[in-house]
Amino acid sequence: MGIEQMAPSSLLAFLPITVMMDELTREFLIESQEGLDRMERRLTELEERPRDGELLAEIFRSVHTIKGTTGFLGFSRLESLSHAGENLLGMLRDGKLVANAAIISALLALLDGLRAILTSIETDGSEGKSDGLNDDRAIIERLLDLQNGNLDSQHALAAAQAGCSDADRQPENPAKTPATAVDSTLRVDVHLLNRMMNLVGELVLTRNQILQATSADAGFTLLSRRLDMVTADMREAVMKARMQPVSHVFSKFPRLVRDLAQQLGKRVRLEMEGQETELDKSLLEAIKDPLTHAVRNSIDHGIEEPGARQEAGKPTEGLLKLRAYQDGSHVVVEVVDDGDGIRVEKVRDKAMERRLITPEKAAHLSERELLQLIFLPGFSTAAAVTNVSGRGVGMDVVRNNVEKIGGKVEIESRASKGTTLRLRIPLTLAIIPALIVRSRCQSFALPQGVLHELVHLSAEQTRSQIEWLEHAPLYRLRGRLLPLVFLERMLEQQEVAEEDAGCYIAVLNADGRRFGLVVNGLADPEEIVVKPLSPVLKKIGLFSGATVMGNGEMALILDPGALAVRASIGISNEEEKPQVAEEALRPDKSETEFLLVETGAEQAALRLGDVLRIERIPRARMERIGRTLVLRFEGTVLPLEDPSGILERQPEEGVEITVVVCRGGGRHVGIAVSNVLDVAAGAPLVEAGTEVIATGITLLKERVTSVVDLSRIPPLPAMEPENAIEAAFEVAV
Amino acid sequence: MSTVPEAGMERSACSVANEGVIELCSVRAGETTFGVPIMRILEILGAPAIQPVPLAPSYIGGLVHYRGEVLTAVSLRNLLAMPRYTGASDILVFEGPGGYFGLLVDAVGEVMTVMTGAVEANPSTLDDRRKALFAGACKLKDGLLVMLDPDRFDPVRLSHQSNWEG
Repeated sequence: MGIEQMAPSSLLAFLPITVMMDELTREFLIESQEGLDRMERRLTELEERPRDGELLAEIFRSVHTIKGTTGFLGFSRLESLSHAGENLLGMLRDGKLVANAAIISALLALLDGLRAILTSIETDGSEGKSDGLNDDRAIIERLLDLQNGNLDSQHALAAAQAGCSDADRQPENPAKTPATAVDSTLRVDVHLLNRMMNLVGELVLTRNQILQATSADAGFTLLSRRLDMVTADMREAVMKARMQPVSHVFSKFPRLVRDLAQQLGKRVRLEMEGQETELDKSLLEAIKDPLTHAVRNSIDHGIEEPGARQEAGKPTEGLLKLRAYQDGSHVVVEVVDDGDGIRVEKVRDKAMERRLITPEKAAHLSERELLQLIFLPGFSTAAAVTNVSGRGVGMDVVRNNVEKIGGKVEIESRASKGTTLRLRIPLTLAIIPALIVRSRCQSFALPQGVLHELVHLSAEQTRSQIEWLEHAPLYRLRGRLLPLVFLERMLEQQEVAEEDAGCYIAVLNADGRRFGLVVNGLADPEEIVVKPLSPVLKKIGLFSGATVMGNGEMALILDPGALAVRASIGISNEEEKPQVAEEALRPDKSETEFLLVETGAEQAALRLGDVLRIERIPRARMERIGRTLVLRFEGTVLPLEDPSGILERQPEEGVEITVVVCRGGGRHVGIAVSNVLDVAAGAPLVEAGTEVIATGITLLKERVTSVVDLSRIPPLPAMEPENAIEAAFEVAV
Repeated sequence: MSTVPEAGMERSACSVANEGVIELCSVRAGETTFGVPIMRILEILGAPAIQPVPLAPSYIGGLVHYRGEVLTAVSLRNLLAMPRYTGASDILVFEGPGGYFGLLVDAVGEVMTVMTGAVEANPSTLDDRRKALFAGACKLKDGLLVMLDPDRFDPVRLSHQSNWEG
């Protein structure tokens, strides 16, 4: 141990290895890119308010700044392009021209040209050549033509010069306001933030060790508690520093929507909500592509052409809504369109045609389940887009990308009403809930998203209940065969086996591949911080990363999809859920399963067998007819029970209320609840002194809980047909 | 191969700023003593917990927790096809073009200063595997020291050369 500290060499680690382009150019690039982003947003706004002087001044400023700096740095292509743009913008600003679609398109083309050059400078330091793709002259001529559209060239020149000269003075005032915001913020390199995040993680681990080591000493305990608190605050602060509003991603959509709509001859209005919702920077990057994809799909396949819309009795202008909001520890991003929706029959036919599903199975699937088929890999091919009215191209890719960051994708669609695609993203990246499993004394992390249930087998059961079909191990899970994968065999682990103490089967569903992963033991679930693996180890293909656990030990993160593929587990399209429902419905079961809900301050239980689905429904869809509350739901009406007066307390139309839709007394009823808590098995209670089992209450999680009696909910004056909701049957667990 | 050791030394020589002298850290694996230029070592981890990686190439010693990062460590013993070491190993941390990596050795010895003139190219009688890994021999008063160039132990680089398996 000759050397413990090597100060000079470890300092090297903090210095960038590669030589960066000079500070000035880099600063210029960042600033210009920001300016162009702003310009892009403003240009689309300009289309609606072509005479807005402030907008014009801001756009002018973006171009003007670029022009000013480029001359100084000697980027001639940038200079000539931005000069031409500035002239046109000057005329617009001075009111000599009025912006129209042609002008805005030309300015957008200019923007793309400028961007391409900036990218080129960023990659190799030079502006690149003007060529067929980025033809500067064509852009400049286009701008000039537009300039001359109303005025002869001499006037134009004079006007342009006037524009230039007062550009230096005029913008000063409007520029004042944003300047204050800029003053209080600081640009930080993402790598530095990543490093800070790592160091904080390190700090947390060291803190854990200190807490353990000093627990005996009272004096130290106080100090280490303080360290504990400071560390926690610090971690939160660093995480917060990585957050960015979703507007960073949303901001590019006005342009995308405009271009696409124009290209396809459709009229689309874009509404964006919740732009201030914040998300971790790297997550934001990760959802950019899936979102773009979804928006394209909506415009391409969802929203109809104006004519078709008119025939369907809709406004000719389609509505595309991007909505972001925080929901607990998740951020939800929705892409909603009021287009034609996805035709479930066509999805089904396509899936059968592609042999993703057998006709028998298809007949049993609910509408909602059929819709999920579009996420199957192999469903989506270029042909599927046009043949199937709906979307489908790369939906599996969208789902994979979102699931990779621990998120989820949901889709809802009503024929001729529209489609909603919902991305559910965890608040912070890199931290995912995982179950720690043990195989031959080594810990591995299993992402909890794919985990459906756990089965424990004792040593005796392991021998008797794992069956073999030739070389394929199988387990009968509720009467159905589940293919098994032994982790220790899959990983060819050489370490000595632990003593035979039974095993656990983790029932997983990875991208539609259902299988049981057999492990030796389980540890507590943990929120783990994902660390990337070196390429050498990534090549193994079964691990998606590594993590340092709370106790300082490391664990490799298993990639369930890759495990399934390597074990050649096929894709099973059948959902297991309906069977669970059947079991819950079995009347002879002495312990019935209940859905535990919170209504106001109280808890109540609903028989799980009665529950059809759990939905968030806008308050606006709930109305009162006489003394009965009713709910409009999928084109039907059903009575709504509100035991704790949630509706009274939340009269605003916009809020969403959780409703449990149940089957009770031969019809469907909705129950408004404030929270869905859990699913638990209830034990029957016998009233003291009698042998009679109480009907209205049950013992649930060691608490006596009342069971909601569905048959007591008053019926509607006229009932809708029984099978109205049956079509969308799904047990929500 | 014989020209590479000079390149490795030049770098160390420059940073020491005293021409003709290199500072080496001696490490041991099996019976052999090796010399690693000190200026390349970021840190030495004494007896860290090493997590084995199933199915990894044999030259991978395992993963080590290093400053909040997961460090891939290459095992010098495995590379040289030496028998497995059961004692606690030390890890030298280096930085390569692809990020940090570690080199797993039996033990870290002392720091020594040697003259560049004392280093000779690999003897031609070494087997090919060793010729490719060693960066020359350093003549000390009381024996020989195998010179190591950390760049040759970068796992990313090793993975491009398939002959390290087994």
